[in-house]
Amino acid sequence: MASDIDYFRALETPRLSALGSNLVAAAFPMMKLMPARFILDRAEKAGELSSGGRIIETTSGTFGLALAMLAAARSYPLTLVTAKSLIDPPYQKRLEMLGAEVVVLDDDQGDGNQAGRIAYLHDRLEAEPSTFWTRQYDNPGNPHSYARLAEMLVRRVGRIDWLVGCAGTGGSLCGTGAFLRHLFPDMKIAAVDTHNSVLFGHKAGRRMLRGLGNSVMPGNVKHNLIDEVHWVGAYVAYRSAHRLLREQGMFMGPTSGAAAIVAEWIARRDPDASVVAIMPDEGFRYSATVYDQNWLNSHPGWTSTSAYEPANLTTIEPRTERDWTRFEWGRSQKPSL
Amino acid sequence: MASVGNEHHHSNSAIRQLSIGTAIAHHGELVQGVFEDDRGRLHRGLVTLPLTGLRSTARFQLQRHVPLTVVPNEKSKALRAAGLTLALLGHDRPGATLHVESDIPVGHGYGSSTADVIAAIRAAAAAVGTVLPPATISRLAVAAEVASDATAFEAEAVLFAHREGEVLEHFGSSLPPFHLIGFRPEDAEVVDTLNFVSARYNAEEIQLFRVLRGLVASAVARQDPGLLGRAATISATLNQRHLAKPHFDFVMGYMDRIGALGLQVAHSGTLFGLLMDPVLPSNAPVFGTAKAELLAAGFSHVEVFQISGAGGFHGIRY
Ligand SMILES: Cc1ncc(COP(=O)(O)O)c(C=O)c1O
Repeated sequence: MASDIDYFRALETPRLSALGSNLVAAAFPMMKLMPARFILDRAEKAGELSSGGRIIETTSGTFGLALAMLAAARSYPLTLVTAKSLIDPPYQKRLEMLGAEVVVLDDDQGDGNQAGRIAYLHDRLEAEPSTFWTRQYDNPGNPHSYARLAEMLVRRVGRIDWLVGCAGTGGSLCGTGAFLRHLFPDMKIAAVDTHNSVLFGHKAGRRMLRGLGNSVMPGNVKHNLIDEVHWVGAYVAYRSAHRLLREQGMFMGPTSGAAAIVAEWIARRDPDASVVAIMPDEGFRYSATVYDQNWLNSHPGWTSTSAYEPANLTTIEPRTERDWTRFEWGRSQKPSL
Repeated sequence: MASVGNEHHHSNSAIRQLSIGTAIAHHGELVQGVFEDDRGRLHRGLVTLPLTGLRSTARFQLQRHVPLTVVPNEKSKALRAAGLTLALLGHDRPGATLHVESDIPVGHGYGSSTADVIAAIRAAAAAVGTVLPPATISRLAVAAEVASDATAFEAEAVLFAHREGEVLEHFGSSLPPFHLIGFRPEDAEVVDTLNFVSARYNAEEIQLFRVLRGLVASAVARQDPGLLGRAATISATLNQRHLAKPHFDFVMGYMDRIGALGLQVAHSGTLFGLLMDPVLPSNAPVFGTAKAELLAAGFSHVEVFQISGAGGFHGIRY
């Protein structure tokens, strides 16, 4: 365990880059390493994960990749449970190259078959009770791990007035946000979500922008921390990611693009405030999609123009992938669905 | 710094001279908790609030044919520290007399015991012509008295593992300037530091300490007493869950009422301190008001200190 501490710690560490006079971005190569390492370290210390014991999680995102890298380095067998509509072959290959067992369930509805994945996972836990389930949706280790990010941001920025970040499991935004709110009770938090995600009150539906948003409600989303919500459509996020590459040389994933466009808007609107934004991953995984002109052109709704301002919603409802909307959440509790 | 050999010092006339060492007090801690070292291991640690106006002074006289003794003889930790210092410097069986005098009150969290120990270490080292670096002094102090504080570093702000005597982080400068209103409850009993039960922090608290460490680093780098006051308040509040101090809620409320930047405590002691804006003149009416109101509320020893200010320390007694 001690042997991997430096390498994985370095790899999970974001670059802090100024995107403007009052805006600093934490640009992660792979943000999910931070909660993955923290959760495994803690499980090892608590004796919940013993040497050679199996790790299991249902994921199709970068949390799975982070687990696969750590499990390989620490010699744990790993099972990742996903669904056909969620996984792409190069990603599956990369996981398998790391030694992970990838279980791909059918999902005829194309909705990710969350119920099927959870049922399968429980069967496996029953069959092999020593298996450790990382539970990134409700494990408090997920938000707690982001104290490292909060510490880095405070060292770099000092007083922070706005935190902007994506919400998927809620771990990164609500974890970083809760720690920073202890320090700066007046700090505002903007959550970046996308249309047809249930996190802030849309009905679940097909989502083109992956990584943020969710079809189910994770326990790690703490609604009463959130001051305002932005729903960023996929095309708006792609455009923003392209612009980060052209204007700043930052090659980031589309959810980073979504966080950037919101953070830049807040920083423009409030020039005396110090704003920080969390950018979860790099662009490499998206080179055949978000960064491929032919792929983009194959989408009928794709447009080269993009919004520079959100539309304020009076009722919470989804729009198109070209739209960017905003709602003043006001630290209220969970949406009623 | 003079080089230190072994035997020849005994015939060196310099060693018969009286040598003196002094050490400063502190006003408890700005932050105390559990922190990671570079290898990811957790240590109990603290950021001391140094108070340069109160001192312990040790006078050390090397003499042949007498045992190593201390006056007054209850300062046995200082004596042990002097012995350890001489042993480290290659003087295994010295004879000497150590006199320790201090104007630091005992048992309220001003670090009187550590000050005696550090003064004795400095005096003993000086007796053999050596000036020890703060890191060495701190390790000797821990060896002499189990747990120590960071006053060997004087005004340099450090995160200090007080059980091991190791620096976890050098913050790179001194603390930002501020005024401190120090006081303690009138009915406060003297605290025996070593009988304190150690707080058991939970995982979330340990993560919050990590962020507080960043806040102190940021306060020092920016010389921003507001950030430092915030760090102190959060640490004191966290500590309250573990080793509750009487009158804490009153003092928190009072902090808001007089617009203080923060509240610090002596985690193993009875002291409270309110951090006040350094741009206030030392004779600002708020200090007189605070004194009267705190006395009326049942506190005593209300004093205003200037910390890290341009002219160094001034203690203003009302
Ligand atoms: C690329 C990307 N962006 C954003 C997020 C959202 O982060 P969180 O789960 O901490 O809310 C994730 C989470 O998987 C992600 O993979």
